[in-house]
Parts: sequence; C-alpha cells; structure tokens
Amino acid sequence: MHPAISVICFTLFSGAGYGLLSFLCLDDLFDLNFNLSSARHMGLVVVALVLITVGLLASTLHLANPRNAWRAFFRFRTSWLSREGVFAVLLYPVALFWLFTLWGSDAGGSKVLAALTFLLCIATLFSTGMIYACLKTIRQWNTALTPTNYILLGFMLGSLVLVASGAGNVTIALIMVGAAALGKLIYYYWIGQPAGPTINSALGFTRATVRLLDVGHGEGNFLTEEFGYEVAKAKLIWLRLISIALAFLLPALLLLAFGATAGIPAMLCGFAGVFVERWLFFAEARHVVNLYHGAQAT
Amino acid sequence: MLEPMSPQLPKFEDHAAQTVKTTTCYMCACRCGIKVTLEGEKIRFIQGNPDHPINKGVLCAKGNAGIMKQMSPAKLTQPLIRKKGSERGSGEFEPISWDDALDLLTERLRHIRATDPRKLAYFTGRDQMQALTGFWASQFGTINWSAHGGFCSVNMAAGGLYMIGQSFWEFGDPDWEHAKYFMMWGVAEDHASNPIKIGIEKLKRRGSKFVSINPVRTGYQAVADEWIGIKPGTDGLLALSFAHVLLKNDLFDKDFLLRYTNGPQLVICAPGQANDGLLLRADATDDKSDTQVWSLKSQSIQPWSDVHCEPALFGEYQTADGVTVKTAMTLLAERYLSEEYAPQNIADKIGVDADTIERLALEMAHVAFRETVEIDTPWTDWAGREHKSFIGRPVAMHAMRGVSAHSNGFQTCRAIHLVQVLLGAIDCPGGHLAKPPFPRHLPPPIKPATEMAPNTPLSGPPLGFPTAPEDLAIDANGDPLRIDKAYSWEAPIANHGLMHMVIKNAVNEDPYAIDTLMLFMANMAWNSSMNTAQTQDMLRQKGEDGEYKIPFIVTCDAFNSEMVQYSDLVLPDTTYLERFDTISLLDRPISEPHSACDSIRQPILTPDRDVRPWQEVMLEVGARLGFPALVKDDGQPKYQGYQDFIVNWEKSPGIGFLSGYRGEHGEKSLVGEPNQNQWQDYIDNGCFFEYEIPPHQRYYRFANKDYLQWAKSVGFNGHDGPIVMELYSETLQKFKLAGQGLYDGPQPVKAVDKQRMAEYFDPMPFWYLPLEQQRISSEEYPFFAVNQRPMFMYHSWDSQNAWLRQIMAQNYLYMNRKRAESLGFTDLQWVWVESHNGKIKVQLKLMEGVNSDTVWTWNAIAKQRGAWGLSDNAPESTLGFLMNHLISETLPTDPATGDHSENKSNSDPITGQAAWYDLRVKISHAVASDAKTDEQSLPQFEPLKPLPGQAPSPEVMRYSAGRQVNLKRSFKDTILRGFK
Amino acid sequence: MKLGLVIDLDTCVGCHACAVACKQWNTSGTSGPLSDYEPYGAEPSGVWFNRIRHYEVDDYPNNKTINAPMSCMHCEDAACVTVCPTGASYKRPEDGIVLIDQDKCMGCNYCSWACPYGARELDRESGTMKKCTLCVDRIYDENLPEAERQPVCVLTCPSHARFFGDFDDPDSEVSKQVRQRSGYSMMPEQGYQPTNKYLPPRQQPAVETHKPRQVSREEHSAEDKPMAQIQRWIAQQLKRQA
Repeated sequence: MHPAISVICFTLFSGAGYGLLSFLCLDDLFDLNFNLSSARHMGLVVVALVLITVGLLASTLHLANPRNAWRAFFRFRTSWLSREGVFAVLLYPVALFWLFTLWGSDAGGSKVLAALTFLLCIATLFSTGMIYACLKTIRQWNTALTPTNYILLGFMLGSLVLVASGAGNVTIALIMVGAAALGKLIYYYWIGQPAGPTINSALGFTRATVRLLDVGHGEGNFLTEEFGYEVAKAKLIWLRLISIALAFLLPALLLLAFGATAGIPAMLCGFAGVFVERWLFFAEARHVVNLYHGAQAT
Repeated sequence: MLEPMSPQLPKFEDHAAQTVKTTTCYMCACRCGIKVTLEGEKIRFIQGNPDHPINKGVLCAKGNAGIMKQMSPAKLTQPLIRKKGSERGSGEFEPISWDDALDLLTERLRHIRATDPRKLAYFTGRDQMQALTGFWASQFGTINWSAHGGFCSVNMAAGGLYMIGQSFWEFGDPDWEHAKYFMMWGVAEDHASNPIKIGIEKLKRRGSKFVSINPVRTGYQAVADEWIGIKPGTDGLLALSFAHVLLKNDLFDKDFLLRYTNGPQLVICAPGQANDGLLLRADATDDKSDTQVWSLKSQSIQPWSDVHCEPALFGEYQTADGVTVKTAMTLLAERYLSEEYAPQNIADKIGVDADTIERLALEMAHVAFRETVEIDTPWTDWAGREHKSFIGRPVAMHAMRGVSAHSNGFQTCRAIHLVQVLLGAIDCPGGHLAKPPFPRHLPPPIKPATEMAPNTPLSGPPLGFPTAPEDLAIDANGDPLRIDKAYSWEAPIANHGLMHMVIKNAVNEDPYAIDTLMLFMANMAWNSSMNTAQTQDMLRQKGEDGEYKIPFIVTCDAFNSEMVQYSDLVLPDTTYLERFDTISLLDRPISEPHSACDSIRQPILTPDRDVRPWQEVMLEVGARLGFPALVKDDGQPKYQGYQDFIVNWEKSPGIGFLSGYRGEHGEKSLVGEPNQNQWQDYIDNGCFFEYEIPPHQRYYRFANKDYLQWAKSVGFNGHDGPIVMELYSETLQKFKLAGQGLYDGPQPVKAVDKQRMAEYFDPMPFWYLPLEQQRISSEEYPFFAVNQRPMFMYHSWDSQNAWLRQIMAQNYLYMNRKRAESLGFTDLQWVWVESHNGKIKVQLKLMEGVNSDTVWTWNAIAKQRGAWGLSDNAPESTLGFLMNHLISETLPTDPATGDHSENKSNSDPITGQAAWYDLRVKISHAVASDAKTDEQSLPQFEPLKPLPGQAPSPEVMRYSAGRQVNLKRSFKDTILRGFK
Repeated sequence: MKLGLVIDLDTCVGCHACAVACKQWNTSGTSGPLSDYEPYGAEPSGVWFNRIRHYEVDDYPNNKTINAPMSCMHCEDAACVTVCPTGASYKRPEDGIVLIDQDKCMGCNYCSWACPYGARELDRESGTMKKCTLCVDRIYDENLPEAERQPVCVLTCPSHARFFGDFDDPDSEVSKQVRQRSGYSMMPEQGYQPTNKYLPPRQQPAVETHKPRQVSREEHSAEDKPMAQIQRWIAQQLKRQA
C-alpha cells in the first residue's frame, strides 16, 4: 500500500493524543500517581486534544473531496471509518465538559465524564485500528493485532508524552513500551507467515503456474499507484530494525538509564519510531489486487 | 429483458438533444458499420451497427476509441508548405491557403503530365479508396501508383488468386457456421478485426477445434485449443508435410481434384525444351485453347472440357507425337510423397514434433471425410451435372501476415491452399468460402498498364495480373518501367506494387529519377519503411546540384505523422467522421461469403479546421489537369464534387463505385443506371448495401452454373465458364522457362534474374529458406525476429490515441523465458539487438508463449519525439522502439557468392512482397548500470518541431458529450440501511 | 433481481474492446467525465471501469494465454459498501448494482482498499471514486432499442465473451451459462460473493484421427516410394473404370 503521509500523521498524532487523554482520564479516575496539578492536568488535556485535532485535520488532507467530509458520520452502522469519525467527534464535547469540571478542582473532574472520555478514546483508537483490520483484502492488516497495536502504540506515545511533560510515571511508560513492543513483534512474526490468496486463486487457475504477461495499463493507474507500492526487502528489514530501535529500544533504555529526565528524548524517539512503524504498516501491506498485477502471493 | 425504467431513476440521457447517424468505421481496415450518437456537436457514443453485415453490432477497441481520434491534438489544421530556404525534415513550415497550395500542385503536376507522366509517383498507405486513387493515377497517366499491399499481404492475395481464384480476408472467409476444424496460420489481429472474433466464438461454441500455428501465443492464439509454436518462415514446410501425410495415407478428395482443379490436366514433360512443363493444349500455339486430359473411357487424350470422358487423375501418357505427358496431379504426388516432406524429416526445421504434424493432418482428414456436412440444396455445376446437395468438408483455414511477410510467402500461401484443395475444403460448407466478387477466374483478366504518353490516361489500371513474361512492365532492354520495379524481372507478379522500394529507387535514380512523390496516409518516414533512419536520410538526400534527389514530396494526411515532417507540401485531410467515402466492390470488397456488400461514409461532424477530404482534392486537381474522365469537352469539370462523381461516373455501363440502389429510382442492384438519390438511399439503409446470394448459389461457386452466370451478369467475371483451381501453375512455369532460357518470349538477361526465375517460379508449391536467411549465419544471428500489432491498434493510425496508448505506450522485446534464463537474461533488462543491418537497444520481457528461437515485439508503438501530438518524453519515443531499424529493404551480401547487388530487394522473389519477417538477430546484454539515464531505447531521434497552428496537447482531459445526471442515493436510505 | 455479468474466458481474445467501449460510454455517462491524466505525455493514465489483463498459465510449451477482463463484480457482500463512511457507495436493493453517489463521495479511497478486484478508481479531478455502473444509464432506458439495453461492454464484445442478465432468474442466459459451463468466482475466499462469474476455458475438443492406412504385405516392399503409391492410384482408377 502506498504510505500516505497524511494518514500516517493522522494515526500517529491522534493515536498519541488518545493515549495521552486516556491516561489523563485514568489518572482522574484511579489516581495513577501522576501528581498533576489541576492546571497541568487541564493543560495536558488540551495538549491531547490538540494532538487529536492535528491528527484528524491531517486525515482530511487525504480526502480528494473534503467538501463531503461531513457526510462521513452517516454510515456509523457499518463503517469503521464512520464510527471512528463519530467517536472522535463525540469525544470533543465530552472531553471539553470533563475539562470544564477539572477547572480549579483539586479533586479532579467529573468521574462519569472522565470514564466516558476514556471509553471514547478507546473506542476511537479501536475504530482506527478496525478501519484497517476489517479489510480482508490486506491480510497484513486483517487481524486483531491491528487494533491491539493501534491501542498499545497510542497508549505508549501517550505515556511518553506524559513523562516528557514532567508528569506521568516512568514505570507505566516502560510497561507501555514493553507491551507495545511485544504486540508489534507478535505482529511482525504473524505477517511473516505465508497465507491468503495467490495469483492462482485470484484467477481461478490452480493447477499450474500463473504468470502475468501484460497488465493492460502500461503506464500505471490509480490501482498501481495506490496498491502497487513496493519497497526492497532489505530496505524493509532495515526500516523495521530502525523502527523497533526508535520506538521501543531507545525510549526504554533512556528511561531505564536516566528516568524521567530523559522523557523528552524518549518521547521524540517514540514518535519517530512509530512514524516509521506506521510507514511500514502501509508499505508492508500487500493488497490482493496486486495478484492481478503479477504478484504471486500476498 | 429488464423491467421498464423504475420511476425513481432519473432521465440520464437527453435524447431530445441527441441525433443518431450511421457511417463506416476507419479505425482500421476492417470497415465495420457504426452508429454514432451525437449530442449537439459532440460525439456521445460510437457503437457497432447491429444491422451491418461485417460486424453485426460489435465493435473493437479501436472503433470504440474513435472519439479520441477526433479529439487528437495531432490533427493537421491547415495546408502547410516547407519554409523557403529551410531544409527538408527540419520541420520548418508555414501555412499556405488551399488555393495557393492547389495552384502550386496543379502547375507542377501539369508540367509532369505534359512531359513525362511517370515522374509522378503516387503511393498510398492505409487507403480504403484504391479504386479512386488508382483511377486518378491512370487518368494522370502514370504507372507509378500502388497502395500498401506490397508490404502487407500481396503474397496472400497473389497466392490465392493464382491458385484458387480467391484468397483470405477480403477474398474469402472460413465458413464459421459449419466448420468443425479451424486452422489459423500466422495471424495476429490480421484481417479482419471483428469478423474473425465473431467467427472464432461461433466455432468454439459449437465445439469445433481451433488449431493455431504461430510462433507467438497472444491474441487469437490465446483461445486456440492447440497452439503450434512454429519457427517463423517454415509454415510452407508444415503445409507440405500435411500434404505428404494426406497423400501417403490416401486421404484426399480425388473427385474434387478431378472436377474442379487442373489436377487431371496433362503437363508436357520435355526437359530442356521450350514447352517443358506447359500444359498440353489442343493447339500448342494457342494458350487459350483447350487443355487436355487422359480419358480412361476412350484411353486417349481428350479435351478437359469433355466432362464425360472420365479423365485420369494419375498417370504418364504419350501423345500421338510421342511427347511424354503426365497429369498435374502425378507431378504433385511425386513431389509431395517424397520423404523430403515426411514429418520426421521436417520436424527439427520447423520446431514441431513429427507425431504432432502427422496427427494434425490425420485430424483434418478425419473431419473432412468422416464428419462431412451436407446442405440439402440442389444445384447444378457448370457442365450441367445436377447435385442434390452441397457436400461440405468442414475444415477451414485462415492465414495472413505470418505467412505473407516472408520471402517464401507466395509459395507458402500456395502450399496452404494445396492442403485445402486436397481436403476438398474450398467454397464448400464448413470450408473456405469466397466472398463476392470472388471467386474469379485465374488470375483476374487485368494486365498491368505498361504504356505511358504525355497528357494521356493509361489504357488500363496500373496494377494487374501478369500471366506470362510478355505482360511484364519492362522496356526493350528488360529494365523496369515502374519506379518500384513491380512487374519487372525483380518482382514479376507484384500485384500490389513494391511501395517499400519507391524511396530508395527514386533516390538512386534506379531505374530513373522522379519529380514528385505524392503520399496519402503512408508513414514512409517511420514505421511503414524498413530501415527507418536511412529512409529519413534518403528523403533529405541531395544530388551534386544541391537539389533533393526526390525534388518534391506531397503528403496528404489528417495527422501530424513523421512523414509530414519530410514533406514539401502538406495537404490536411479530414477525419473519417468528417467526409463522404465509398467502400466499393471495385476496390477492396467488404462482402460476406453469402452476400455482396459495399458501404459509404457520411460526415457526422463538420470540420473545425481548414481541411478538405482528399477525395475532393483529387477530383478537383484531376479536373484542373483536364483528366478526360473528369472534364467535359469544353474543359469544364464534369462532376460537381465527390458525391456527384460517385453517383454518375460509370466504369462500364451500369457499373459504378456503388453497387446498391442503382437504376433511376434505386430499384436495381449491382448493375443499373445512375441514381441521383443513391447517397440518401445508402444513408437510409444504414450506410451499407447488401445483396444476398440465393441458397443454391452459395457454395461451389467456382463451378456453380447459376452463380457463374449471375457473376458474369453483374460484371464480377468476364465469362461464365468454370473457375479451375490451378494446383499446377502454368503461369509460374512460363517464368521459370524464361529463367532457364527456354521460354519462347521475353527472357531475363541478368544472371541474378535468371536464377530467380529458374529457382523460385516453381509451378508447384515448395518451400525454401527465406532469402535473407540464405545469406545470414544462423549461428551468428540465432534468433528469428518478428513483430505484430496489438489488437487494440491493429492496422490503425492510433498509437497516439489518448485511450489506446493508456493500454500500451511502450513495447518490449519478448523472449522465451526458459531460453532467456539459459542465456542469463532477466525480465525487463536492457539488451542490444543486432541484425546484419543495424543495432537497437531495447527492453526485454520474458514470456512462455513464444517459440524458443524467436523474439518478437509489438510494432508501430514507437514514435519519433514530437510527432502525433505526443510530448517529447512520451514512452513511445523514449522507451519504445521500432524493429524496422534492423530490417533492410535490400538483401545482405551473399557470403557464398559475394553477391552484393544493391538492387536485390528484400522481397518475395515472385510477388515483391516486403519480407520484413525474415529477420534474424543476435542479442547481448546492454548496460550493467541501473542509472535511469541508461533506461532509454536506442536509436533516439531529434524531437520534431510543432507545426504552425498546432495547439498544445492537454495535461488533463475530461471528455464528456453533455451534462451528467447522478443517480442519487436517498438520505433516508443512507441513514437507515444496515449491512444489506 | 441480481444483475451482473458472465465473462467467458474460453472466447475472450483480450482485445480490450469492452474496456474502451466502457470508457467511451461512461465518460459521458452518469459518473463521467472519466479523467485522463497526461493523455499525450510521459505517463498516460486515467479512470477506467474495466481493465483487461493478460496471463500465461503453465510453462512453455504447455502454456496457455488467458485474457482476464475485470470490472466491478457487484458482490452480494460488498465490503466496499460496508466500509464507505459517507454512504456514497451503495448497493441498489432493486437489482444489486453497486453504485457510488457522486454527490456524496468524499474521495477517501477507503472503498477501493476494501475491493479485492481493483474495481474502483479515484478520479482526481472530481475527487470522487468511480466504478462500473453496469451501465445503469442504459439498461433501463426505454428510448434505446430493447436489444441495446445492455452494458456497452456486452454489446460491443466481438467474441461474445460477455453476458449480462439476472442471476436470480434461473432461466436467464447468465444463469444458464454458469450452470452449463461451471462458472466460477474470482478469489472466492475473500467471501464477498461476487455476482459476476467467469466461464473457464472449454476442454479441448477431441478429434479422432484417421488411422494411417494399413499396408498389405505385397505393398510393403514398395511402401514409401512415391512411384509405387502413384502406380496403385493408377491401378485403382483403371479398376474403377473397369
């Protein structure tokens, strides 16, 4: 799949925002020992909302016809993209109300609203993951690991933002980094297993080798541009290593070695690593339509 | 059918704003009927006309892309003249008015016509009005005219017309309705586009077997039940091996041979004598007199026309004078029964295993003789014998370019016809059906014009059918009269001329210098020439006097082709949607086997440019020059333009360009007085005319009395006698005798001509290694190299078509995967391809479906930078390539004899057909680096300059004929629908 | 009704007529114009609803070339519709045609991701996704002759490799073809239940061969000599005469 920067930024920033917001809700609900002042708490909620908004705005850049973006809420019944939009939008008033209740209250905000905000964060992150996971056409995405990873990585980034802001909890961040790393490693192992349709099943000729002779659209088209994206195997391995190092190893090492003082570099590494991870998420995804363009398997 | 439009559907089409007109497609040579829906002045839709006999409603990719032809930014917009002082080929043009352009042209032509008419050479390419252009040339008085058949398929036309009185494509079709076995030889999309597709589907639906013989498995071969990936140029050997198997196993139709062929006719066996190999005749001095047979009844020699004498098919006999004679069939059997043609002895040469060869022959025999079809329609043969039904041998064949574009193509085509005749599968149900006006007598009784005089029309058409050396167009010294040397000793039966030799001969002033070269729809500066780069050089070559070797070049075309750039005067034509046209029975007929057909074009759109139909221009120039057929006694034009000419000009009384709706009120068909309403009558009938042949005249027409009488009555044939198929060609034997120095008439003088006559003019089909390959080391050049056009561009101008080029804008060199891997070649790598004539750099693509000794490419994809409205970086120019660079129009030096006679053209020695499939190449790795700059085909050419008035090509195109009516989904449905 | 196409791989010669006819009709049709980019430039491309790809099955010399036209399969379980957030993509309940309401599409590409068959292409100029409409703007149009109320790809196909009709009607041509010729779906494992079906290449018809002539003993010595064979024919014609 062609990695679109707008979509990468969307899931990266809004994911981090939802992660951050989730932790802030949890802290309000269960006191995770973040030791946040009301102002700080509110400030961080605003930061989370800004991250989310930046992400959502980035996602609209992906639209070829953004004039109709407002219609995206109508198919809540079947479309994960619509659901994500609905949750994302619902979250704003709820979170703002909650933010309002946080105002000047040392005891935290409305617990009901915090819980609601948290649930909406999870729902949105889950929906984002499901946008990809529900596609049977891309076996690298069509797995429960996808929403799991989206949630874990969002939480990880959120926890790193918290640590970087001088608040938060290094242990929680380390746990999140570990969990996210584990999730991602399982994912990489899983997509390495051959499965799914082949050029044979795609065409219905299963008794012999099938090869593409001519594609019938010599200079490419939307399909080859959107789905034909391919990166050299060696480059992919390097990028995976870079992403794992940046997203997981470096933040973990930095936090282990220097504690909260390394919060900012750990967060920056985390963002950079997840950016590469998101890029790979697209670049490594093999849409089945490629079978018709000559790929032997997905 | 579907329910009427559901009420919630909007009115999509604004039918009130639409008009529908019929006309004839011109996106290739197929000439399908089309229905064009116009919305205002824009084309909404071009579709096949369901009533049309050719395409019956279907339409190919090209036809469907007609809008983009009309939208092409490469359309010429105004007459142009090369700027004074600029060099030819530099692309410096300035506009000139039509009046000035025609004055200039007329004056030049007037001078030529008044002094030496042959100094005008007029050649046409994808011309669908050869009857008119040929008429014009003959009125002008130059014999230097032909169309593109010389590099297309003259081998097929000549091979058939000299053997069975018809041929493939425009001459005959497989009987798609009844054939149970279909063998297709060397056919890409060739001739014709839609009818073959329609036919193949019919065959397959009925469970008939389809065998394809072709080095490459693309196009039609994809759906063949069996693919025989033969080596190029060896088809003749395969056909003759089929003949061997059929004869050896006694599986041939003796009655058919006895009745309808010259198989029983007696051939004189007198080696070394002037009459050796000629047919025994009633009067040896009169070659029109009766041929003779051996009567088994009377045990004596009797005239062939004596149908009751019971002729012998085989045997050697003596005449009263003691001359030894054999039946033609005996000579044929002696030859083809020879072990030389046994499957096991040819298998390696052709790349097909012996068992397969034998099996295919036996399969055909089985179908022909054990699965006979019978149509219960009584008919009478020419001799009055009554038959209660038509017996069909349901084995059909089709063959085209893969056979014809070899220098052994004429004899190969004959070899294929021989197999058809042995099976009795000619013009019978399930066999190979002729299409009116065919079959014709062998060959059609038209001789090529040879005499020219100033200001005088030719006595006949420039092209014809020689039957003896006396008919050649040569002077007293035996030198060619024509600029292309057609009908000379170099190409005696060049029925379609040798367009591919015109430029070279003219530049070499061999046989003489010309003044003006006039080209219509022929891209001789690019893909229609062998040897493209050298041809461009020749077009701008100057003599010592500083004048161009070809002093004046006139091009008429609708598009900015490469040829335009090499012209001095450019006359812009209309597109096919902007003019009247006739597709005439006098020309290249569009008939179907069971109906005689012709058609017209009518303007659908009004030109938005300063362009004129070439037909009108020709007639105007002809009238200005005072062509007798075009002016009245007072010198005034006889006809008011093209439409008037078509209606009122008659070739002979009652016969004109259009055969339908003749007679005063359009009540007569085929023959009748001019009808002033004829165009409208055609338009009212969907722009075509179809005359159905009654059932009892539909088969065995070469011997069908009623058909033959009718064909004479409508002018198809000169007499109603039987059309006797000539398995043994006395015509060829006469040329052979001339080569042997035995002929009682003109004989060649040059050794090379003598050898050509003696060796290749064999009266019986035979196979020989293609001429170029005789002079090329197959070890040094291990690959055969051929090319074909893809279905969506076949026989069309439209490589630049905005829709079609999206399918393919770059061609590759295809090679057999296993073979490539054994040589270390990889998919998509760049390679050098080298022939004796040149070297090109191309990108390789590996495939399964190609003979392992063969490489091939799609031709005419490549374009010169800047031509056809394409940008300079179009893949057609940067990545695509022409194989033409590798092909020479002359043969390489003969390593055995050191013969480097420049004049020996790379053509079939009999017909002069350009032998562009004889090529052999070697292939080597090109650059090792991956640098993008290396990824370019070679040679590259300088970009052409834009023409004056040429609009820039759009970056984005959004063609639409009208407003769009969206089918809305209701808000309620959007909100409320669940998963289903 | 369940409208769709049957495509006969046994007769499809890969000529691209259907694809170009489709382009031609639909560029002025309900979801037109179908934009073309760099139509005369370095990378010509554009929006098409129907594309033909060419494949080779098995190795030389047993290879068979397959031409595979592909357009929207009008799936019964159309994931492209399920995933569409705006509701622009929908499947008509009346006839099962999957359509895109051009006024509602926001051009997010998501539906094209959900389609395994490459049936949806984004028009960058209009910013909307476009796809095969099964010529909904023809098939119900009473102003057209009845025989022409069909998708243009079917009308134009020179080798009659395309059939259009109602799969819910067991007597329709499409249903019959699928029954008689074992019509199949492409990539059925995706589970979208494509309506369009493909007919596999027919089995090669078996043709008997005439048994080579049995050679009798006395003839055997002379076998393979052309003259002997001709002598036999001469003898035969005399015998027949007698």
